[in-house]
Amino acid sequence: MAQAQAAFETDFWKDANLRKVWDDIVPGEPRKTIPYLLTKEAIELYCRSVGEDHPLYFDEAYAKTTPYGGLIAPPSIHILLMFACTPADDWMRSPGTVNAGQSWSYNKPARPGDTITLQARALDKFIKRERLFVVHDNVFFNQHGDVICSGRGQTIRPM
Amino acid sequence: MTTTFDNLSVGDTIDGPKFAVSRESIRLFCDGSLDYNPLHLDDNYMKGNFGKTNFGGIIMHGMNNFGLITRMLTDWAYPAGAIHRRLETRWIKPVKPGDTIQPVGIVKAKQVTQNSRWVLIDVLVKNQNDEKVATGEAMVEFPVATSAAA
Repeated sequence: MAQAQAAFETDFWKDANLRKVWDDIVPGEPRKTIPYLLTKEAIELYCRSVGEDHPLYFDEAYAKTTPYGGLIAPPSIHILLMFACTPADDWMRSPGTVNAGQSWSYNKPARPGDTITLQARALDKFIKRERLFVVHDNVFFNQHGDVICSGRGQTIRPM
Repeated sequence: MTTTFDNLSVGDTIDGPKFAVSRESIRLFCDGSLDYNPLHLDDNYMKGNFGKTNFGGIIMHGMNNFGLITRMLTDWAYPAGAIHRRLETRWIKPVKPGDTIQPVGIVKAKQVTQNSRWVLIDVLVKNQNDEKVATGEAMVEFPVATSAAA
């Protein structure tokens, strides 16, 4: 897990030839995923990038006084988890992938120290106005098997 | 006045935070989200065409809108003891360095279910020219037992 985090490849061109193109994607087939240890530092960095400053994400003493009983991550942490829990050859990283909309449902908050797993697949694919779409189906779990959040998204695949 | 399920009305608005978009903010979002798609990093790549679309330069991550809308909803819900339960979004217009964006929410409906209470919120993100860049709907739960929690 720690090794996957240390080795994150930020050059999305590097493994581009290993990734499935629209034609290869089989709706229903599970995607390869990797467990990810969510650290306080990763939560803080994500928070900074969207200006999140609520003490529930930063101040443990404060967070302990709330119904949450300790630090949590903001619900939108799945934005980070999507890339953290998928390998470098996953087609979400194909350069030119355009996000066309998302819907997410939230169950339990993710917390620093959680080991997060992802179950993911393409659920559908279609062509509309000459664009190649894929419908994504994703569920994140914590180490207790609790659902953190589940989401559906659409991307337009690069041609 | 503290927000409660009972004192909310259809049409009530929630003002979200203004967010100044820059090359640096987009780069920080790459690091925060691990999304290093060249759409957000590489001006040369962005000179090309995407189907019929040409963006002319790097664009902000669509999910940066999503993160900002979430920040607005949770900052509104936590003091009311409410829980952000769902967000659906669509991107209307690309956001570029130099833009300033701001999410807002408008209460659309209230619904009582067997075990809980829900507020449905229309959300949108506008840029500095008052153009919509993203729209969506959210669902916030006001649990019966903890609705008075600080």
